[in-house]
Amino acid sequence: MLAPTKHILPRTNIRRERILPQLGRVVARRMQKVVPADVVAEANLEPEHIMIDLTQGLNVSAAKAKDLLQRQAGDVLSKGDVIAGPVGLFQRVVRAPADCEVKIAAEGKVLLEKDTPSYQLLAGMKGTVTNIIPERGVIIETVGALIQGVWGNGKIAHGVMQRLSKDLEGEVQANQVDISFRGAIAIGGYCKDPEFFSAAASIPIKGLILGSMSSTLIPAASSVEYPIIIIDGFGQKPMNTLASRLLITNEEKEISLNAQEYNRTTGKHPEAIISLPSPDNFDAPKDTDQFSVGKRVYVDSGPYATRIGTIEVIPLKAFTFTSGIQAQAAEIALDGNERAWVPLKNLEIIET
Amino acid sequence: MVNTNTNLSSILAVDIGSSTTRALLFDIVNTKYRFIAEGSAPSTAGSPFFDIAECVWHAIEDLQDKTGRMMISDAEGLIIPSTMDNNGVDAMVATISAGKPIRVVTVGLLQDVSISAANQLASTINAQVVEEISLNDRRQDEDRINLLLKTRPDLIIISGGTNGGASKSILNLIEVVGLAGYLTKDDQKTHILYVGNEELQEDVKDDLGKISNLHIAPNIQPSLNQKQMYPAQKELAEIFKMIRRKQIGGMSEVLTWTDGNMTATATAFSRMIRFLSKKYEPDKGVLGIDIGSRNTTIAASFEGEETLRVFPNLGIGAGCQRILEHVQVSDITRWLPLKIPSSFVRDYVNNKSIYPDSLPATQEELAIEHAVAREILRTTVKNILPEIPEEYQKGSLLPSVEPIIGSGSVITQAPNRAQSLLMLLDGLQPAGVTTIALDQNGLLPSLGIISDINPLLTVQVIETSTFLNLGTVIAPYGNARLGTPILRMRISRQDGERTTRDIKYGTLSVLPTNIGEQVTLHLRPLHGFDIGMGGPGKAGKVSAVGGSLGIIIDARGRPLRFSNDPEKNRKRAKDWITSLEKFV
Repeated sequence: MLAPTKHILPRTNIRRERILPQLGRVVARRMQKVVPADVVAEANLEPEHIMIDLTQGLNVSAAKAKDLLQRQAGDVLSKGDVIAGPVGLFQRVVRAPADCEVKIAAEGKVLLEKDTPSYQLLAGMKGTVTNIIPERGVIIETVGALIQGVWGNGKIAHGVMQRLSKDLEGEVQANQVDISFRGAIAIGGYCKDPEFFSAAASIPIKGLILGSMSSTLIPAASSVEYPIIIIDGFGQKPMNTLASRLLITNEEKEISLNAQEYNRTTGKHPEAIISLPSPDNFDAPKDTDQFSVGKRVYVDSGPYATRIGTIEVIPLKAFTFTSGIQAQAAEIALDGNERAWVPLKNLEIIET
Repeated sequence: MVNTNTNLSSILAVDIGSSTTRALLFDIVNTKYRFIAEGSAPSTAGSPFFDIAECVWHAIEDLQDKTGRMMISDAEGLIIPSTMDNNGVDAMVATISAGKPIRVVTVGLLQDVSISAANQLASTINAQVVEEISLNDRRQDEDRINLLLKTRPDLIIISGGTNGGASKSILNLIEVVGLAGYLTKDDQKTHILYVGNEELQEDVKDDLGKISNLHIAPNIQPSLNQKQMYPAQKELAEIFKMIRRKQIGGMSEVLTWTDGNMTATATAFSRMIRFLSKKYEPDKGVLGIDIGSRNTTIAASFEGEETLRVFPNLGIGAGCQRILEHVQVSDITRWLPLKIPSSFVRDYVNNKSIYPDSLPATQEELAIEHAVAREILRTTVKNILPEIPEEYQKGSLLPSVEPIIGSGSVITQAPNRAQSLLMLLDGLQPAGVTTIALDQNGLLPSLGIISDINPLLTVQVIETSTFLNLGTVIAPYGNARLGTPILRMRISRQDGERTTRDIKYGTLSVLPTNIGEQVTLHLRPLHGFDIGMGGPGKAGKVSAVGGSLGIIIDARGRPLRFSNDPEKNRKRAKDWITSLEKFV
């Protein structure tokens, strides 16, 4: 059976496409070293237009306005440039109200497109631009540790990682973030108190990675300025042991956070990347796999959610769970000497 | 023009969902068409495959493994037509619900009239209306242009003006749409569907024909008191297919395999509900509801007139979180027979959207999913009621429908039939006398699209094992104190046995029958209660057929009322399910 995979990898080749939502201009160069906040491409996503009625501006008929028009489609204008006129005793003219381009000029009207600020596409990770996709974006690659999450608040940053508690199991408290976290990416277990976010913002920290948080905090977490990545889901769950070990091992190293929204369709996850120097090439992580005995798995839902284990048995016959649901299942030897039956649908394969 | 062909003896129908893709085989057995078997595979519309051909192939392979019938070969691909040695199939059809909602901007004269009608039209596909532009929105033309460019819709629906009515105002709006279209890059041309004043169709072609992918359908409001959605709905279904072809990898291959016989799952589902409404009691409607992982579809049809609505991103999987935009967590917890903290329920609902394929392993998790399903049913019904033809409306009550068909795995794959029935009873709260059935194998959309090419197959398959009749439901409505007798039932069985039962207000009970047993019920409502026999207190006789749970008498009142004490609600929810589970 085709199985989803969860990426918590100590060292892998990470290759990411960073693409504009519509055609624009790529500003990064091939082989350029980038950090998450570097701009790699830009586009004018929200062009602003101004319609000017020359017949009103010049107080003339549409036919006369056509004669008085000094510009044509494609002309680039600076604020104050004359568009049409002069006419009449007072030499009336119509001027460009802002820096703009003439898009349409006809029937006594002109439609101008203002020179509005561009949308900037950030690199989102530390790495090297290995390819340019003209007018669309770039491909960035690095070798490093990869930890994918399931919820992010859309922000991007990078900084040095620092633990909020010895293990990443317990609740994070507002009084745990002090001045020593200034400019750091804080990592912790779970959060259920909105005060924590404001306390962290006041330091300010640069980013936050949590195992889980109460879903009532989604609005508060969405509104903070720094990136937040949730690794395992909503509730009061400790961070899964694989991710917590990986983060703890790399404490005080630089980490890039791209807390982009999780989108199952596009396959984009919020993710944390720790670039590691490596002379070797690594394979890119697999996106799908097959369930089989011996595979390491992550339990994503149910009473064993966030636990890691190894598949022991996958019987052909469906297993009946206490809910009464019958489903294809596997017996898992969970880390920590416990065994459990889990529906295959609640499992994700972990590459080792 | 679709050619129907009853020579097609075997048909492979593929349903591509957001989570699972199913391949269904229909063939002739003993001179009649039958549903033979189903194969399935995880859907591959999204990452990492981005190609639906992949999951269609896997689902067919699974079907091959289950039936032993070869349907694909490495050399030839899909084997069409079937061979003498019973391999291959004679035709393939497909339905699709995978994919993000199509982004729609509706443009019309007045918000309450033409925009509302255009929105209603948009809701018949998996679409999200991202902006509305109307004459009374107080925006300047330049703001409207900016808005259209910023939202970058997949489709613009323009409505407004009765035939021979307003023209200047609608032409002004069309000019704005045209200017925005002119500013859009050629490779990003938007689809535009014009469904307004038919006298302006030539002007619309002149203004928008070159700068967009223009489609024109008959006016959805030809006169002040008339709405005609169906022709525009058909055109919209075709546009939907074109947009999906561009958005979803593998669509072209599947369209080739199916010879173009592919449509949106919701469209096919609705077509089948309309088909059934013509087949069953013509004085009542037919209601079908399908709770999917990402979307929910509700379709009703009264004498062939259909009302269809798709609720994008509202479902029991990826669309689970969206229910919290419609209801409070307390609306979900009031249905729970177990004590589960609200915070756990909220977190579960949010996690379900992250892990939409996960299954409820514990009783608590299952109870939450079933409670969410009830609220999805309530939300969708509440929203569709105003769109049902006026002559069939019964205020806030569900109109008279026979049968009600529930679809979607949360309903059809519940651990027992009592749970399936109670979800539908609680969520839809039918009033009067009706029958509740399950589309147990999820065949309705496939049969809907097959009806285009082989209606005989559709008729014969629905006459066999398509629907599981859960039972006839008798639901009197009115007001009384709990425990007051509100209905006297005289039951006459075929063996001559006659019994009388008084039904008390507030109860949910079962009259046990054998499956398929015909029972005559003389129903006399008491204390001014109504059972849909022509008004309060009006008695009548019905011939009921026993379903898998018998005949259900739901005297809990309409709408169901809840206590402020959560403990009482819990006890009641437990009593309700226990009272039905005894008969499973």
